[in-house]
Amino acid sequence: MRTAIYERMIKMKEQLIKILAELRPDVDFENETALVTDGILDSFDIVSLVAELNSEFDITIGVDDLEPENFDTVDAMAELINELAD
Amino acid sequence: MTLISVEFALLWLASAILYFIFPLKYRWTVLLAASTVFYFWGGIGTGYFMLLTVAVVYLTARVLDKYNVEHKEYLKNNPDLTRDEKKALKLKNQKKKRVILSVGLVICFAFLVFLKYFNFLSQQTFGILGIFGVQAKAPEIDLALPLGISFYTLQATSYIVDVYRGKLRAEKNIAKVMLFVSFFPQIIQGPIGRFGHLAPQLYEGHRFNFTQFKYGLQLFLWGLIKKLTLAEYMGIIADEVFTNYNDYKGIIILIGSMVYGVQVYADFSGGMDMIRGVAQVFGIEMAVNFERPYFARSVAEFWRRWHITLGAWMKDYVFYPLSLSKAFASMGKKTRKVFGTYIGKMLPTFLASFVAFFLVGIWHGSSYKYVIYGLWNSVIISGSILLDPVYKKVLKKLKVNTECFSWQLFQIVRTFFLVSIGRIFSRADSLTASFAMLRNMFSEFNPWVLTDGTLYELGLTAREMFLVFLVIIVLFVVSLMQEKGMKIREALDKQNMLFQWLVVIGAIIFLMIYGAYGESFNAADFVYQQF
Repeated sequence: MRTAIYERMIKMKEQLIKILAELRPDVDFENETALVTDGILDSFDIVSLVAELNSEFDITIGVDDLEPENFDTVDAMAELINELAD
Repeated sequence: MTLISVEFALLWLASAILYFIFPLKYRWTVLLAASTVFYFWGGIGTGYFMLLTVAVVYLTARVLDKYNVEHKEYLKNNPDLTRDEKKALKLKNQKKKRVILSVGLVICFAFLVFLKYFNFLSQQTFGILGIFGVQAKAPEIDLALPLGISFYTLQATSYIVDVYRGKLRAEKNIAKVMLFVSFFPQIIQGPIGRFGHLAPQLYEGHRFNFTQFKYGLQLFLWGLIKKLTLAEYMGIIADEVFTNYNDYKGIIILIGSMVYGVQVYADFSGGMDMIRGVAQVFGIEMAVNFERPYFARSVAEFWRRWHITLGAWMKDYVFYPLSLSKAFASMGKKTRKVFGTYIGKMLPTFLASFVAFFLVGIWHGSSYKYVIYGLWNSVIISGSILLDPVYKKVLKKLKVNTECFSWQLFQIVRTFFLVSIGRIFSRADSLTASFAMLRNMFSEFNPWVLTDGTLYELGLTAREMFLVFLVIIVLFVVSLMQEKGMKIREALDKQNMLFQWLVVIGAIIFLMIYGAYGESFNAADFVYQQF
């Protein structure tokens, strides 16, 4: 069971990184830890990203979820997607 | 009462003494008392609008909070609800909350719109009616704009939206809400604080901390220097060019708008330093409103560094909600079909940005020139995003190195130029005047004015020009050090005491000798307090 959840998370993270890489090929998403706080992703990027994530993972990311801590790292984004998908 | 006055200095001193004498638990009451004295110093006037706003946001937040708590309790007591049931419940609760929030927002913004825009809207409406033969005198209201209404309305409404979103619990004590809305250093020109960041600092009593006290005074002094030895002098040139714009052409107009850019930066960021300095003496860290905006390499970046708290407010409460709304999402689907994936996808986002910048524009005042000021920035930002792929291709084809210093410098200068053009709209007397200035600017290429003495006819003597140049150099060096991550006051704190005193006393003497005092200056007024 744990392995299934783990595998699902890994797959989702891979999908997420692919979406991010298409959105901003110039950013090293796997190593950045303050994507929003440091202004690497701006508000236009966030809106495009949310639209992509909503359609790709069939979730609804609301305005309340647009906190820097939810988008500063790939792991935080994956956690948010996971939370909303449950 | 203004920031640069004996009355303010005495209020600051008295409130600081009382603050640190009072028991920790009640220190916030000293801040509230000082804020009330500050706000009503000139009489009640139209100050009751601020009190009404406090009452409205207090009640709205309490009701919203009640709904939030009830919803959470229900979920807790019914753990077996299905996902769909939870979703339906959430929607139902949100609907109720939305009604309450809307009432609160409408009332708060009605005060602002009515007092700030009624006369303008009335004149425009009756002007249009006149075209259709309806001749009548436009009704006008004769009420002074309440102090700080443009700032406190945004601050107060952000509080109720944050409670609505469940990010905050509502404050139970209305006096504390009043302190949050009216905290005295910031009510006239911001920074527009958020409840979650500012309110806890206001309510908890801070113990006296000599370092904070010293840093606060130093920041205030630095702000005063920017205001009195730079903004005021730059204002003389800007006033001359913007008032007599028909006497000038070409580069002089450009210089006028650039000088105004420096003036408004020194004035507004200087005011912010003073305000943040006042608060820091009490141990309160206010939001940062400027991060060296003239180092920005694009107009979008400029707006992330300039008047940050206004931009953040627009982003969180206008841009994001609009961009992520169902209406905009369905618009996006339609525009994709018509304009293709890239443009179609971006159009709704551009529209949301357009609305946000339109609001930024009219927030500054009721005039068409502010509308164009907002839209100019929006068009530049959206246009640059839209053309980005083309731009990159061209740069690649021309083999332009975009990593080197000279390219980055070019980007900074280009941004400064674009921002300066926008400033013509915000500073000129009217929209007609701003278009005339642009026409005059592009009608002649006259670089010789830089060397033929024309610059000395703009209101400043050679000595004053030299002084201004010196202050700009100091400001530039300080900004550069900050940009590199250096914390100036902390670095100064590590030096020997003698050196620290020399710097501070030197700054005070410089301010006393060269500060813009006297009848020809109106240092008490800050550009942004009129908004």
